[in-house]
Parts: sequence; structure tokens; C-alpha cells
Amino acid sequence: MNFGYILRRLLGAIPLLLGISLILFAIVHLAPGGPLDMYAENPAVSKEALQQIAVAYGLDKPAPVQYVMWLKSMLVGDWGYSIRTGRPVLTEIVLRLGPTLELGGLALLISLLLAVPLGIISAARRGSKLDSGLTMLSFAGISTPVFWLALLLQLLFSVQLGWLPSAGYKSIGDGSFLDRLAHIIMPATVLSLATIASWSRFIRSGMIDVLNQDYIRTAYAKGRSERGVIILHALRNAMIPAVTVIAVDFATVISGAVITETVFAWPGIGRLFMESMDGRDYPMLMGLMMMGSVGIVVANIIADVTYAALDPRIRYG
Amino acid sequence: MTFELTRRAALQAILAGTATLATMHAFPAFAQQKGGTLTVGLTYEIDTMNVYSTGFLGDAQAAVVEGLLAPDQHAKYVPVLATEVPTIENGGIVVAADGKTMTVTYKLRPGVKWHDGKPFTSADVKYTWEAVKDPAFKAESKDGSAEVASIETPDDLTVVVHYNSILPTFASTLFTFGIFPKHLLEGTDLNTSSYNETPVGTGPFKVTEFVRGQYVVTERFDDYWAKSEKGDALPYLDKIIFKMIPDTNTLITQLKSGEVNLVVSTPYSQAKQVEGISGIEMVKGPLLSWQHLDFNFKRPSLADINVRKAIAAAIDRTVLSKAQGGFPEPIKSPVVPVFEFYDPNTPEIAYNVAAANKILDEAGYAPGSDGVREKNGERLSYAFMVQAGRADDELAQQVIIAQLKAIGIEAVANNQTGVAYREARYKGGYDLIYGRWITSADPVYSVFWGTGGANNGQSYSNPALDAALSKFETTLDPAARKQAAAEFQKILAEDLPSIPLTTNVALIAKTAALKNFVPNPTNMTNFVHTAEWYMG
Repeated sequence: MNFGYILRRLLGAIPLLLGISLILFAIVHLAPGGPLDMYAENPAVSKEALQQIAVAYGLDKPAPVQYVMWLKSMLVGDWGYSIRTGRPVLTEIVLRLGPTLELGGLALLISLLLAVPLGIISAARRGSKLDSGLTMLSFAGISTPVFWLALLLQLLFSVQLGWLPSAGYKSIGDGSFLDRLAHIIMPATVLSLATIASWSRFIRSGMIDVLNQDYIRTAYAKGRSERGVIILHALRNAMIPAVTVIAVDFATVISGAVITETVFAWPGIGRLFMESMDGRDYPMLMGLMMMGSVGIVVANIIADVTYAALDPRIRYG
Repeated sequence: MTFELTRRAALQAILAGTATLATMHAFPAFAQQKGGTLTVGLTYEIDTMNVYSTGFLGDAQAAVVEGLLAPDQHAKYVPVLATEVPTIENGGIVVAADGKTMTVTYKLRPGVKWHDGKPFTSADVKYTWEAVKDPAFKAESKDGSAEVASIETPDDLTVVVHYNSILPTFASTLFTFGIFPKHLLEGTDLNTSSYNETPVGTGPFKVTEFVRGQYVVTERFDDYWAKSEKGDALPYLDKIIFKMIPDTNTLITQLKSGEVNLVVSTPYSQAKQVEGISGIEMVKGPLLSWQHLDFNFKRPSLADINVRKAIAAAIDRTVLSKAQGGFPEPIKSPVVPVFEFYDPNTPEIAYNVAAANKILDEAGYAPGSDGVREKNGERLSYAFMVQAGRADDELAQQVIIAQLKAIGIEAVANNQTGVAYREARYKGGYDLIYGRWITSADPVYSVFWGTGGANNGQSYSNPALDAALSKFETTLDPAARKQAAAEFQKILAEDLPSIPLTTNVALIAKTAALKNFVPNPTNMTNFVHTAEWYMG
């Protein structure tokens, strides 16, 4: 493991993140509307009152000045205050991170447990009816709209059968492990579906590439069983292309799943983002998007390092 | 789907439910007593429980925090923590000798307790004013705090409010929104106080749990001051739970599964689905909102009353309503019918395309080669603005464009979003503009059409209207106000600076089990009078 390399990558991430923050700030402020729009239809809120609120949140200053103010406080760890709730941005984010990590983590776990074997089986039985069936299912999984699938599951399991709560994080006055499990099953299933589909495709194609290599033929010639060849000889190499995708998907977990969380009333980061977007809550949006950006930058570094670990031929200098 | 999250628009997106959770269907054995648990679904996330700083209408807040007065189902004020609504007749309002200022005296209800058991007194009322007007307090609404010059509290149950002007709409301002508990909040920072999550009020329900993004649980306050007519202790309900469910499809699903049983404002597009759910009934409630078409008087042709009249005659409001699911109701006055100041005798220009064409022909607007009329080199072609992205508004715009085409007037959509729309509305960056206003229970109309009014982007000025509006807004005598209201409604209908088109209704889907529920059209929400509700 080359620590000098990792250090250099981390240092290189600083200008990258600064650039990202500038672009995000510009996009957020260029989007039509603003935090004070919510007062647009209330004739009783006077221009003076609007001005007073604008001053209180620094919204009266030009955007570049606002950016510098935001950056300065961010550098000393002050994420600012949410315009919508008046509470510190960091407090709000921490509050939502737990449910989001639970949901995203479980969804990724399900994805990993299913995508790897499905991808391998598809590759090993390439061209078979099983492979075609799995391919079709994958495309169905990738192209099924999340909100539609969610609605169907809710109607079946909550309305028809009455087995599961249709939405929410826990029951009021409950919150035991089983209660929370009942709440998380449907959103985690819905969330993992597209990931299973896309990951299994990557693993399948990686595996097919590797299975055509000479050393695999050699392994078979030595008399290794198919299972032994795939697991001991092929899998590690077949995983390399999939690692980038999986690592970045892991990183996006902390940004939350906007649609799934909204449909299932899940109190996570994705919903917080949605609410903040609707209210044009600038400090909140910047905090959320910067957190997501840091996650992706770090995940990319981890993916590169994992590459080297999986493939001894890769050396970063 | 659109998420409408403004305090006002939220009025149309509020959902309420009455149900125990699916897992807790059974009622306790003593169910013959009036009680039960009500589960309310809200489509927005409650930002703060503080009525003065929330960006939404205070649904959950209304069950917890009370003001001195509150609007009833007819948008008329009734006493809550005060013993009567101050008027000139009962001596509650005294106008100064010079006629420029007034003093309002509230007699407070004795024996009212805060949720922590401490007595409610006049000091709390005075503190509320001091806290709200404090510039350091970031509040969404400080209405009426600047007009108060000083407050005296001669005894625990008397509050004397000295105003620095005549403010007939005083009841629509701060003491109605809610009263702060002085003994808990004095000396604290209201922006960061725990009051914003678990407010202590005097209302029928007290907050026991607030979980952000999930729910607010309120439980029966045993020492609540009010009794029913039969002398029963109030409130009846044991609990009201407010669940935050941002997706309206999910909400309807929860209605079906019984996890939520009452929806105070179903989206129009989902009304059909809700009607099919057994045990759920749909109630229509009026809303204090109106949609209107405004003219910019900087365009010479629009400053011509003939053109405005022709446009008024060309618009068929029933089609506008149909285009929006048939739910908005046609109106002829900006004072919507639920108000006592609405004058049913307000004149109305009937839908009549032939008459509209005749008016324009006679006024000398001749159709050009492309069918669009013109006069003195000005084509009757107008830039027509609605707020972009609002599906209902854009539909209405298309209907109006088609109807104007029938009389040789061209309207070209020029829609803007958010701030740009608001700027245009204030500054007159349009020829025609369609939009809506949502008001409190006692609105001021001079801001819209008064000369130089804050929301008058039309450059409209009419001294006769100014006089009538001024009389309406500075007179305290109800009979004189009513007369002034009829007068300004008539002027508006005849001079047509704006065409009132439709008013919205709230579609309330409620379980048949919820009794005594009465819809409230005002910004104080349906939850302003929850004490007598029960599950039967």
C-alpha cells in the first residue's frame, strides 16, 4: 500500500472540491426562485418584511459575496443555518444520516448478496435460457420506475394483505427491531432492485472477459472443477471493472435516495434534500451536496486503491 | 408531481387523518366514551412548531397553541383566550379623539392553564408582542406588531393594547396567531429554543413527541379550560398524531390501509381515487383564495374599459373550472363568498362572445388580416404570464388564450418561475397576468388596487376606489364597513382592473368515524377548533 500516493490523491481532492463547491453554489443560485418565494402569494408579507428576512440570512448580498461568506465559515466547520427550520445545517444532516445509512446500507447488502452470484451464473451459463432470463430481468429491474414499483408493493403488502406498514420509519411508540424491520423491507427492496440489475451486468461481462483468458483454459486443463476455476481463478480478476461502479454506488448512499425516501416517507437525507430544494434552502442544499461530493471523491480514491489490491500488476507511483 | 410548500399553498396540500395505526386497530374497551386517536397526514415536513416562524400553515400548531381570538368556519372571529371579541359596541375598542389611533382592551379568560400547569395571564400577552417585534427573532409573520405602540396590563386578566393607527384588521394579526408562555421563554433565544419543537401552549392538546421528518404526537391536555355545552370535559380525543408523508400517492395508500383516515385537502387529481375508499367520506371546504386575471394599464388598449369589458365577457369561468377537474368555483368578486363582506349584488359581466365582439367593433378595434384586432396601430396582442410549472395555472392560461382568440385578441404565453414571476407581478412586467392570492380571515384589499399599493403592479389608479377602500380599511363600525365593502366591490366589477375568476375548495377526505369535524377556510387551519372532535 502506497501511503504517499493516497496522501497526494487527498491533497489533489482539495482544489477539486473547491471547484465543485463553486459550481454547485452557482447552480443553486441560478435555479429560478429563492428561499423567499414561499411568501409570493401572501399579500400580507410586505416588501419590508421580506427585506428583513433577506438581511437576516445574508440573502441581500451579491451571490459572489455570499459564496465567500459561505466558504469562510465552511472552512472553520460552520455549515450555517437552515433557512427553512432555523436550525444548524449540521444538526439536520446528522439527524437524517442514520435512517439513510440504514436504508442504503441494507439495500447495498441485498444488492451485493444477489448481484455477485447472479452475475457469475449468467456468465458461466452464457447464452443459456437461464442467462437470457436473468438478462431480461435485469433490464426490467433497471427500467422499472421506482415510484411505480413502490406503489404496487404498498398496495399489495399494506392495503391488500395488511402485512407491512406502507410508509414511515417506525411506529409511534414502538421502534423495536422487528417494527423497524417491517418498515425497512419494502423501501430496501425497491432501492436495491436497480442496483442488483446493474451490478450483475457488470460482473457478468467482467466474468465473460476473464473466462476467455488463456490461464482459465490452463486451469481447466489442470483438471480443476468449474466451481474451483470460477471462484479461485476468475472471480478476483472479473471483479476489477465492477469495483469502480460498486464503490461509487456506496458513496452515493450518503446522498440518500430521493424518490424512494419520498415515496416511503423515510426520514433520510434524500427527503431532506427534496424539502430543501423546494424551499430553496441554500445553506442546507450546499451542505448536502458538498457532503455528497466529498463522499464520491473519497469513494473514487478507495476504488483506485482497491484496484491495486485486487490486481498486483497495477502500481501507483 | 408538484410539491407546493408555501405557507399559503400548503392550505391546498394539507392532509389529515383519523386512524390508529394499522397495527393498532382495536379501540380500548371503554370506547363508549367519546375519545379515540386521530392520525393526521401532512404532505409537508413541519419545520418548526412555532406559529410565528413556520413557513407553512400551522396545522399541528393550531391544536396546541391558542390565541386570544380565532376565526370560525365562516371566517368570523370568536373569543378563545379572551372572553369576548373587542368591538366598539362592547367598549373593547376605543378610538382616540383625533380619530387616528385606537385602543383595544381584551378581557382574558380566568382559570386558563399552560400545559405545564402555570396560570395564563396578561403578562404572557404583553410578552408575546415584545418577543415577536424583537428584530433578532427571525419570524415568518410579524403582522400587526409594528402597529402596536404600547401595552398595559392593569391586572392579570386585562390587556390594554394601544395602537399607533386605526387597524380594523387587528384580529387577523399577532394575538390571534398564538400566545407565548412568558415564564418559559423570557430571556431565551426564540430562534433556537426547544419551544420550536415542543411548544407549551394552552390548547386542547399538548405535544409529547416531535420526531423530525416523521411525526408529531399530541395528547389530550387534562386541564383544558373549555367544557362542552353539556358540561363534558374537553377535548374528547385522546390523541392527535400528525404524520408527515410527502408523497400524495403514498398518502392515498395510507388512507386505503387505514394508517391515515382524514385528508384535509386531497389533490384534485386524486379525488376520484379517494371517493372509492370505503369508510372515507369527502367534504368540500371553502378556501380564502381567488384566481384572477389582471391588466397592465400601461398598455393603452388595456387602459380602455371597452377592451377590459370585452375580455370579461369572453371568458367562460365554467370552462376554467372544468379544466381544473371541476373543483374551483366561479366568482365575481375578489371578496370570496365565505366572507360576510361579500356583496352578492356585485354586478357581473355575463359570458357572451357576440356581445364581446360587438363592444370591440363599436370601440373601433377592427380585425387585421390575421384576425387580430387593432386600433391606432396597436394590435391587441398581449404577453400573458402565469407562474411557470404550476400545472393548474398553465391549463387555465390555455383556456383563456383560446377564449380570447374567439374575440380577435391574441395572448402569447410568457411564463416565469419563482422570483421572476413575483418581480413581474410587483413591477408590471406583463400585459396580462393570471395568479392567485390567499388571504387571512380579514384581508386588506388596497394592497392590490389602491394607488401605489404594495401589490399593485398594474399601474392602476382610481380615486373613487381608493376612497372606498380607505373607508373599508379605517372604519371600525361593522355596518359602515359592509357598506364600504359593497361600494368597492361594485367599483371593481364596473371598472374591471382585474377579473376575479375562480375560488378554490379544499377536498377533505375524512373517515366517517370522526364526528364534530367542521372545516375551517382560514389560514388558522382546520385544527383551530379540535376540542369537540371525537371518534364514534
